[in-house]
Amino acid sequence: MAHPVENISSIKLAWAVSWSAFWTGFPFKLIVALLLLAGQVHPWEGAGLVTLLVVSVPIDIWAVGLTARTVFLERLGMEVRGPVGVSLWWEGAVLGALVLGSGYYAVGTTVAVGQKIAAAIIARIKNFYPKLPIAEQITLELLLWTIPAAIVLLVFVLVWLHLFGWRVKRFVMTSGQPSSASLLERVRQWDYARVPADPTLVLVSFAGVIVTLTVVFWVLLPVTTPTPHPDYPLPQVEKASKPVKPEELIKKTEANLEKAEAVLAALEKEKSKETKKRKGK
Amino acid sequence: MNAVFQKVYDFVDERIDLKTLEAKMMNEPIKGGSRWAYVFGSCLLFIFIMQAITGMLLMFYYIPSADHAYASTQYIIHEVDYGWFILSYHFWGSSAMVVMVFAHMSQVFLWGAYKKPREMIWLVGLVLFVIVMAFGFTGYLLPWDQRAYWATTVGVEIMDKTPLVGDFLARFLKGGPTPGQMTLSRFFVIHVMILPAALMGLAGLHLFFFRSAGPAGPFRGTPEELKAKTDFFFPRQVWKDIVAIAAVFMAICALAFIEPVQLLEQATPDPGDYHPEPEWYFLFLFQMLRWKIFSGEFGEVLGAVAIPGMFLLLLAALPFIDRNPERNIFKRPIALLSWTVVMIGILVLTVSAILNREFLE
Ligand code: HEM
Repeated sequence: MAHPVENISSIKLAWAVSWSAFWTGFPFKLIVALLLLAGQVHPWEGAGLVTLLVVSVPIDIWAVGLTARTVFLERLGMEVRGPVGVSLWWEGAVLGALVLGSGYYAVGTTVAVGQKIAAAIIARIKNFYPKLPIAEQITLELLLWTIPAAIVLLVFVLVWLHLFGWRVKRFVMTSGQPSSASLLERVRQWDYARVPADPTLVLVSFAGVIVTLTVVFWVLLPVTTPTPHPDYPLPQVEKASKPVKPEELIKKTEANLEKAEAVLAALEKEKSKETKKRKGK
Repeated sequence: MNAVFQKVYDFVDERIDLKTLEAKMMNEPIKGGSRWAYVFGSCLLFIFIMQAITGMLLMFYYIPSADHAYASTQYIIHEVDYGWFILSYHFWGSSAMVVMVFAHMSQVFLWGAYKKPREMIWLVGLVLFVIVMAFGFTGYLLPWDQRAYWATTVGVEIMDKTPLVGDFLARFLKGGPTPGQMTLSRFFVIHVMILPAALMGLAGLHLFFFRSAGPAGPFRGTPEELKAKTDFFFPRQVWKDIVAIAAVFMAICALAFIEPVQLLEQATPDPGDYHPEPEWYFLFLFQMLRWKIFSGEFGEVLGAVAIPGMFLLLLAALPFIDRNPERNIFKRPIALLSWTVVMIGILVLTVSAILNREFLE
């Protein structure tokens, strides 16, 4: 009988491990990034970035180990005694540096060349169709260079997945052994490995962590806007003290008084009319 | 402590049969076991609750009048303690809601969960989708700055083009010849009363239908495998939901820090050199309308009303057109291809709209 590992493609295996490992580690990295942001340190540059990367290493090692173990159990019926995360993470990282590093270069080149070619094609089209509207031109040009760039990127990702999957297979074949458990037991095993077994304890400790982080968060959080946007400053509403112009003021007052007099006269006239009417009756 | 808790529990249980209720809520069996793919609906509920909470906090200070809306929003951002954070959370929460609604729709589409017997869940879901988009549209006007005012002006003009009902709809929303106090009042009422009430009611119906039909479960695997993996809602699915919700919460907070809300100048009926633009999740439609075929009287109706309307109708008819019980997405090539084309189309048009900014004189 063929080893179950032989039946799964390297790309599928690597995808199953790395995709879930990414999402497993993500929330923990988010916590670190958020605390950095609340302390007004940018996690995408300088010391903030270094902190985030350093903290990410153990998180990723743990996440890769956990998801690889569950994938082995669920899909391959294999069990690994001993650590998993460190060796897989290490191989994945080296391969990533090599493949995705050169991929970065290749995609960059494709984008640069693609943009030039796209611009040339657009110029050609404009030669015999000068009225090419701008909205159509933008989308056409965008498609012309993003499609080749996306294909190149996809190829490099597939190469990385293929190589990583090959290493993962080697690893599980050399350090794993077939699990003797039934499907039912295996399902329990891998699900309990990913989700803590004692729900009450978990929910209580989860709530505890949330409360603690919330307190830390509100303490760090600045009370007023931390980054007034340079383009849209808060308009300083000036209590403009209007210069007093005596002549105008007098004229205005006189005009107002005249109006008031006219209104008064009109009212009196009306009143006298009414009294006359009543007398007439 | 535990004894007190037990006493309270027993007291309530004796009166409303809490144990049965709890068992019904938590012991829902999930065919094929818990999955991360099922977290999106719960995330949507969470985001909505947080929008309601932050929205109520904002209403403590916001004044829905053309004279004071702008100033009161500035006051929230610059003076109220943590006001900038609450407003920015609410703002980014609305984007998260739209992203999450697309994710949830994609999940149920790709899993074939709209098929018999879940057609009614899908139909109510579509109405919820329209409500989420309407929340975005009406909320955008409330700060009453140039961006708000002009996006609404353009949006209502587009609505005006709808045959038969367009004129009424536009007049109803505007409440006058030009956007003004009446428009603000109406958008405010729709945003804080009508839509929340509608969403709460329909989300309840959505969940009721969902619980009646039961979760669809994975789209592949032998019956015995699915049975072996079947699990209850509590604790493992609850755990996954909570982790996903925590991640969503943190992502919204992070965005609120990185890009807090800032207002443009107060709205005036003169755009100056400001180019109206809707919120980012409407940009793809906005950009499509710039195409030549969608210019002119007929083209505008086609692009702004007919095509989006037909698309929604097509989605509504989907469970009744696609009656093949096959749920595996890798065995439904047309479904997979359509989904990919729609997603890439939205992405490309959104990026095009951003690139298009440079060409506006
Ligand atoms: C505010 C918006 C919405 C909320 C709060 C919501 C909530 C939920 C929840 C909590 C579930 C349970 C299982 C799961 O999370 O997958 C669910 C399932 C479902 N939803 Fe929604 N939903 C919303 C919008 C939509 C939309 C826009 C659609 C599609 C047009 C949709 C279609 C469905 C379907 C078909 C299911 C059943 C999935 C299955 O059986 O696996 N929902 N929804």
